Amino acid sequence: VRRTGARLEAVGVLTGWGNDVAALPDDARAAASGHAVIPLARPSLDGERFRRATRECLLGVTAVHAMLEDAGLGREAIRGAGTALVFVTAAGYGASNVEWLAGQAGTLHFPYTAPSVLPGEAAIEFGVTGPYVILIGGPAATVDALWQAARLVANGQCDRALVLAVETFRECATLWRRARWTLPGPLVESAACALIGPGDAPATYRARAEAVPLASTVETRAGRTLACAPLVALALARRAGRGSAVVSGTWRGRTAAIELAVAAQPARV
Amino acid sequence: VATPVGLDLDAFWSGLLAGADGLSAIERFSTADLRVGRGGEIKKLPAVAVPIRSRAAGLLVAAAADLTSRARLEANPERIGLVVGTALGGVEELDHALADDPGARRALAGLYDSPAHALATWLGARGPVVTVSSACASGATALGLGADLLREDAVDLVVAGGYDALCRFVMRGFDALRSLARDRVRPFDRRRTGLLLGEGAGLVLLARERDARGPRLGRLLGHGSASDASHVAAPDAEGRGLEAAIRAALDAGDAGVGDIDFVSAHGTGTVLNDRIETAVLKRVLGARASTVPVNSIKGALGHTMGAAATLEAIMCLMAARDGWIPPTVGFEEADLACDLDYVPGAPRATRPRCMLSTSLGFGGCNAALVLEGVA
Repeated sequence: VRRTGARLEAVGVLTGWGNDVAALPDDARAAASGHAVIPLARPSLDGERFRRATRECLLGVTAVHAMLEDAGLGREAIRGAGTALVFVTAAGYGASNVEWLAGQAGTLHFPYTAPSVLPGEAAIEFGVTGPYVILIGGPAATVDALWQAARLVANGQCDRALVLAVETFRECATLWRRARWTLPGPLVESAACALIGPGDAPATYRARAEAVPLASTVETRAGRTLACAPLVALALARRAGRGSAVVSGTWRGRTAAIELAVAAQPARV
Repeated sequence: VATPVGLDLDAFWSGLLAGADGLSAIERFSTADLRVGRGGEIKKLPAVAVPIRSRAAGLLVAAAADLTSRARLEANPERIGLVVGTALGGVEELDHALADDPGARRALAGLYDSPAHALATWLGARGPVVTVSSACASGATALGLGADLLREDAVDLVVAGGYDALCRFVMRGFDALRSLARDRVRPFDRRRTGLLLGEGAGLVLLARERDARGPRLGRLLGHGSASDASHVAAPDAEGRGLEAAIRAALDAGDAGVGDIDFVSAHGTGTVLNDRIETAVLKRVLGARASTVPVNSIKGALGHTMGAAATLEAIMCLMAARDGWIPPTVGFEEADLACDLDYVPGAPRATRPRCMLSTSLGFGGCNAALVLEGVA
């Protein structure tokens, strides 16, 4: 079933500043008070299944929960082959890799060094079995991920798509400090999930583009959230009641942009 | 391509047809503390790759040098995209950054998308640079995303493929999981005990049909992917995700199961993978299953992880071009649970037109490609 287009239905955001974009400060740099990394705590999720899961896996699962809350949907709404999962991260695998390299992890930790295991845990938790794409990179890769999600929906290859991003920095803080001239801080740990559903207007994707002002706003307010940044931008647009949003992402010299229709937020009781 | 059986397309292809064994004792790093110290190691990189510090980037550049010796990248550099798949990215550089190099460059090189950006610089490609990391299915999804970028008119040419370097990080992991074969890799064989890892890179040049210039190897008709949502490290016991990916690829390619003349299987040589994959192929191909040749080239190369699916796709297209299907090296004794035609012993003289390539990976990743050769 080919459709006309796709739109943002909901987005959930967690950052080191707190839950949702309402927790973002006006000026992340000032709020960081010189801290290079603003961390996120390990979520406490029930279940024997999570006993080996890494902090970043749990953050991914928690971000999907946050998105469902924003959408006003239960977990059954995303179960099955009708839901695609597009995951993106620049560095979310770093902690597990460093732990494995340091010889501090047991045998069963090894699979968690693969970036694909983080979305794998989210897929298991929510029973998501549709198209599955995992991209590595910063904000530009997230724009690519949003485009993939929108085209999967518009082409009828799924009924809805999740775009999930997770970034953690704490365990690799010394490595990031070496590269601070490339990525001036603060580095803000974050996890975000967007739900893309069918819409009337096609998403407009530009693989090379100019940065949009919303990207600067996100950086000023949230700090460096790397792959999560375009999803934070979408959350800001949705909370502002905009009917559409242009978000851009810049990474390693490339800026990509996408325009998406944005569904109105359901009224809160 | 750059592989343990050949450092260019011709050597790779003739090696596969000859049933070459690219597996050997690993020399580049110590395996003294591991149960298994063998793999598909490339003993000497081509000269073009030698000055490159990151082995992963060096493998990509070696494959790119082979590619660009056969096809020119005739497009505005801003309209040339690069999409590569990897399971390990620059993780060996991360090891160096932690152990012996305090510099910033090495720290950044440890990011999984660093080798792709190094290749983009080498190629002079200034379009989108995309890194896919769907574990060992990455090389298939990368080809699919490359085709999507062309369909979207986001680029005019795409260099797409996959790579991974053999390193202690991954050897130690698979060794600890007891996934490695102690002797040889025997895909679909009754005596199979596991996989051996390999390294390599494979790249193809993708263009829209109307823009294609020069000799063509074939067409990517469709690609599909699906999540198992069952286990982070083991494939779904029923292979439901793999089946969904295959059916999605067939749908996308507007192809029916009756069109499939040949299957390049993931065929790792593990007890579980080969049994599940066989069952899925039997469900998908139905009554034709016993008549469609199925091979695995992992007995020759080892499991080259992010490179595997691209190398297998290239093998499919070469089979269609030359009318020969390479044998499944290591397959000798049939297994009751693996009862398809696995092309034993010698290459098969047949010219497939439409081909299916399947891949699986950690995290419940499944991907499939439907390819068409040009005779």
